[in-house]
Amino acid sequence: MVPIQIEDLSYTYPSRETPTLNGINAQISPGDFVLLTGPTGCGKSTFLRTINGLIPHSSGGTLTGTVCINNTDVSTQPLATTCQQVSLLFQNPDDQLFCTLVEDEIAFGLENLGIPPDKIRQRITTALEQVGLSGFENRRIAELSGGEKQRIALASICAMQPQVLLLDEPTSHLDPRATRDILNIVKQLNTDLGITIVLATHRVKQVQHLCNRVWLMHEGNLRLDLPKNEAFQDDTIFHNLGVELPDSTDTTTPMSTKRTSLQHSNGTILGVHKLRFQYPNSDINAVSDVSLKVSRGEVVAVMGENGSGKTTLLHLICGLLRPTAGEVKVDGKTTQQIKLRKFAGKVGIVFQNPDLLLQAETVRSEVRFGPKNLKVKPDKLNALVNDTLTQFRLSDFAEEAPYSLSRGQRQRVAVASTFSLHPDIFLLDEPTSGQDARHLQSMMDRLCNQIRQQNKTLMFATHNIELTQKYADRILLMHEGKLIYDGSPITAFNDQELIEKCSLTF
Amino acid sequence: MFICKSKLESRTKIIIMMIIGCLVILLDSPSALLVCFLASILLVVSSMPTLKQIRLLLIFLFFTTWGLIYSQGIFYNAFPRTVLITLVPVDFPLIGKWTGGIHVYREGLFHGIIQSLRFNSTLVIGCYIVWSTQPRDLLLALSQLRVPGALAFMVTTALHFIPVIASEAAAVIRSQRLRGARYLRFNLFASVRGVVNSFRPILAGNIRHATNLGESVESRGFSPETSMQRTSLRSSQMGRLDYGLIAVLSLCLICVIALKVLYFCYANGIYYGSWLRGLYTFTREIL
Repeated sequence: MVPIQIEDLSYTYPSRETPTLNGINAQISPGDFVLLTGPTGCGKSTFLRTINGLIPHSSGGTLTGTVCINNTDVSTQPLATTCQQVSLLFQNPDDQLFCTLVEDEIAFGLENLGIPPDKIRQRITTALEQVGLSGFENRRIAELSGGEKQRIALASICAMQPQVLLLDEPTSHLDPRATRDILNIVKQLNTDLGITIVLATHRVKQVQHLCNRVWLMHEGNLRLDLPKNEAFQDDTIFHNLGVELPDSTDTTTPMSTKRTSLQHSNGTILGVHKLRFQYPNSDINAVSDVSLKVSRGEVVAVMGENGSGKTTLLHLICGLLRPTAGEVKVDGKTTQQIKLRKFAGKVGIVFQNPDLLLQAETVRSEVRFGPKNLKVKPDKLNALVNDTLTQFRLSDFAEEAPYSLSRGQRQRVAVASTFSLHPDIFLLDEPTSGQDARHLQSMMDRLCNQIRQQNKTLMFATHNIELTQKYADRILLMHEGKLIYDGSPITAFNDQELIEKCSLTF
Repeated sequence: MFICKSKLESRTKIIIMMIIGCLVILLDSPSALLVCFLASILLVVSSMPTLKQIRLLLIFLFFTTWGLIYSQGIFYNAFPRTVLITLVPVDFPLIGKWTGGIHVYREGLFHGIIQSLRFNSTLVIGCYIVWSTQPRDLLLALSQLRVPGALAFMVTTALHFIPVIASEAAAVIRSQRLRGARYLRFNLFASVRGVVNSFRPILAGNIRHATNLGESVESRGFSPETSMQRTSLRSSQMGRLDYGLIAVLSLCLICVIALKVLYFCYANGIYYGSWLRGLYTFTREIL
């Protein structure tokens, strides 16, 4: 077993002046399950990378203090040695899987360690059993679901038989059922094999019942390091830092964010008729026979398991994808017949990854980009940009480069830059990804308020039930490309069979 | 990305690409270059590509062939040259006088055919390697060929991310259009700036993907320094076919180099052997 001792650990990235980690002292005992949480940009990922030696081995910057495993400083031993003791699972499975076949992916790390092929085969079988995917050896990774891919990523590091497992937001891309599966596997590794776990997440509620210790970070400092039963006794610090609380059931709906009877629609803004879409090289319909109508002023949540067709539906609505069959009508006009550019101001989309939208040199020019393209007059343009920056609390960063901001701030810039066009339909793909509770709530509150005030329409795809309960008037449930429910969120969430079918049970 | 079947070991594929790359530079005659091109096609066919891959390859080949032949036909500036078609006559107002007329030259077309055969041979082999080799096998092969680790990883990740980059680029461009962006305008400066700005999120995405993947493989013990102690689940020994093919192609390359050197010496008056006249003729006519 490997005790880890962290002493006075500080780290500054090469291009930054202020340290991302600031004098951290902590200890991990064998068999611990540590929940590491904190607001977006507090340094959780950086901290995990110092524990497994990626920092300083694969990065520049200035590291002071020590992380000792078995009394050996990880900064002085080769990464190949550290990775046999400490393994790291990353957030997005698509970014960490390297091979085409499952078997090859799991074998990759073992081959790097020089393990003989017969032993590699044994370890592959064991690792697949551990993650509940026995018999998947020869499956193609591209054909697996998001949850299965993350389990393969977990298997590929379990096969290396580490004594410490670090997990960096491992479930942020997964639906509730896949999240539950991953967390159950991690807990089993902890209890059955005694593997020490450090799991970084914003979703405290999902993990708190599994852990025995809680670390809370803020601005590079470890603000709290306590056993679980002591950590949540006083939740003031969590509340102050905007971190999700384990027992928070905030599904109350402020008047400002839910539609009132007085705000009822002024007619249909979106019509989808028998919509079908098939990706090239696929025999399966990503979206199949979907028909629906959305009125002005509605806030609609699109939910369903990973790969159910939520994102594809949003992309079809805004014209990023052309339907294989059926049609999408925005304000009475069929999207197939009109150039994408002509939809500017009618439909706007913010991707799950907001960085795909950020192209300007400053936040101000990013927000200005859309309205300027629509030839808004200069005097109105400046007022519009300033107003949008204020609404989304971006005025302080107006002259900064979007890429220099934190993930939460970048998402706000992406939302603001799309919102500045005042589209009739605003599409938001998985706004919870990488967001802490405070950032998410603040952004959604502002967006929903503005959408309702201006009688616009918001559609957001999410796995987050609380978000839907809090903000959506209506829910669309997708399953295997089909729309299987369209109606009130309350009715949907009371139907156990329905939410089980859409993998929304945790 | 769909991986085709191939009986050749990854190192063999890379070595073949290097040999054919050298051959197409050394060879000048269309018939010899056509042999290289057909040999490359044969390799692709042997890997049983999918219909989509065949269609993609044909599109690549069409555009490179057409583009090279057409551009060489117009911009050929060596002499002698024979006008085949006149696109803009010399007496055409302004442009005609300014350019001296725009013509398609027969020698230019011929030169274009040679250049397109050169380019397409390497293009086809490049597609063959990408389509028939797993990223991890390619990485291993490059490491075994003593390519510096960082470079090997860069090449492999670049290939690994081609489909991701393509889909992200499409998403970026379309989402910018949805924000009213116009890429083709009368103002050339604005058009270029628009395109450059669109590259920013694509580039940032690439850097992020590559960084994450790099961290992931390093966290699993991959290191250029330890590549020699690496084992492999699948045996990746070079077989008879690999050695045979490399031997034949290497021999071809050595012979071509030798014949070209002899011909160069003869053509420049450095050395002439009457007993080599047959080889001089062969080199001039066939190579």
